[in-house]
Amino acid sequence: MAARRVAVTGIGVVSALGQSIPEFYRALAAARSGIRHLPESVAAGSGVQVGALIDWDPAAHFKAPEAASLDRVAQFALFAAGQALAAAKLDLQNADRTRIGVYWGTGMGGAGTLEAAYQTVYGKNDFRLRPLSVVMAMNNAAGSNIAVKWGLRGPFANFSTACSSSAMAIGEGMRAIQAGRADAVIAGGAEALLTPGMLAAWQALRTLAPADAADPAASCKPFDQKRAGLVLGEGAAALVLEEESKARARGAPVLALVTGYGNSCDAVHMSKPDRDGQVRAMKEALAESGRAPADIGYVNAHGTATVVGDVVECEAIRAIFGGHDVPVSSTKSMHGHLLGGAGALEMAAALMPFQEGVLPPTAHLANPDAACTVRHVTKAERGAMPRAVMSNSFAFGGSNVVLVAERAA
Amino acid sequence: MDTLARIKELAVKELALDLSKIDPAAPLDALDVDSLTFIEFIFKVEDEFGVKVSDEDLRKIKCLADLERHVAAALQAAGKA
Repeated sequence: MAARRVAVTGIGVVSALGQSIPEFYRALAAARSGIRHLPESVAAGSGVQVGALIDWDPAAHFKAPEAASLDRVAQFALFAAGQALAAAKLDLQNADRTRIGVYWGTGMGGAGTLEAAYQTVYGKNDFRLRPLSVVMAMNNAAGSNIAVKWGLRGPFANFSTACSSSAMAIGEGMRAIQAGRADAVIAGGAEALLTPGMLAAWQALRTLAPADAADPAASCKPFDQKRAGLVLGEGAAALVLEEESKARARGAPVLALVTGYGNSCDAVHMSKPDRDGQVRAMKEALAESGRAPADIGYVNAHGTATVVGDVVECEAIRAIFGGHDVPVSSTKSMHGHLLGGAGALEMAAALMPFQEGVLPPTAHLANPDAACTVRHVTKAERGAMPRAVMSNSFAFGGSNVVLVAERAA
Repeated sequence: MDTLARIKELAVKELALDLSKIDPAAPLDALDVDSLTFIEFIFKVEDEFGVKVSDEDLRKIKCLADLERHVAAALQAAGKA
């Protein structure tokens, strides 16, 4: 039997850069940042100054009872998945939905629901909580809501490996299709933890960038000498993955092929990144794709803009690509760090060259740090036609996930 | 507006029910409202009227008319009715 290859047939996004793929790609091409000052209602006393906060109106997407039963993270997930399904033109009514799965990723799950419950218990000494608290806060709620909404009864998995969660969901979703366990999968991830308590916890890590005094939108500066840490974001991204021959047989839009998935653990430290672990994940993804480093025409870096992390990743990229002048950018400079949703949103960004012929840049990279020497994309580069692209996701806990995708022939 | 009318109005808003089709005596299943969602609705009703329905009473409420009776009794007990 010929190997089952995996096509991307639809993408959907919810981000501070827009809530559709065209809006998202337009913002990336223009190097427009969605990062801004956080209002007092969100930041409260946490001390966190900036974030990629989405102007989200649940009423625009859900009836009141449905919205009330969905944490913000699940609302993001459903809207992104709906876009991806629509783009894929998948005829769910006539599809065998026991062959369609959901592979989702999130770091914190229903953070807002959890925080509201704690406020009630500890803030008001009221122990009578909303009956839906558990099913709204649980980590698998976003993915399960996607399965329920569209009746997707195939394999289901939810990954929570911090910043690699949704990249892992895409990789494992690809595996499920390769292994013949599913013919299609909604794969992606979501995060919505811009809440006072969560922000306070992140602030305590001392890894968040303060607001850029001149321009808050420029607070996240990956690879720059003045980089001062990451900026948290929120949102979701979903990909429809399908077995290629079935997708082509139904005339689906084949946007790309996912051909490589590397997964390694540093097993060294909970928060400090490790070059060797990253190198192993990149090597594994390349080996599976059957591509040489020279075939990769764009790398969407993890690039969080932390002082240590960017240096280690650039060392790992140089170790893999050596003398090859592979263009690298971190789009987190614009959409912020979506944590559990980052891998999926950045996979959407990494596929941009295939759709638009444009390499998305690292915004606000005025003075690259010598320790971060790679071939930086500092402005959108048009006319790029890479054969293949790579997306890196490296997480607290030492989880490294690397995905390789190829242009659909 | 009487208590039942206010509860009905809230049900239209929070449970997306069609006002003309709300039968106060109908069991929740018939209204296509699951039990957890209904408890959430009762919390909203409590906020609206400024009363509390005890956990013991919660278990006895099977329809909107039951809810109205409990709210009315609570309002009376609190001297609000």
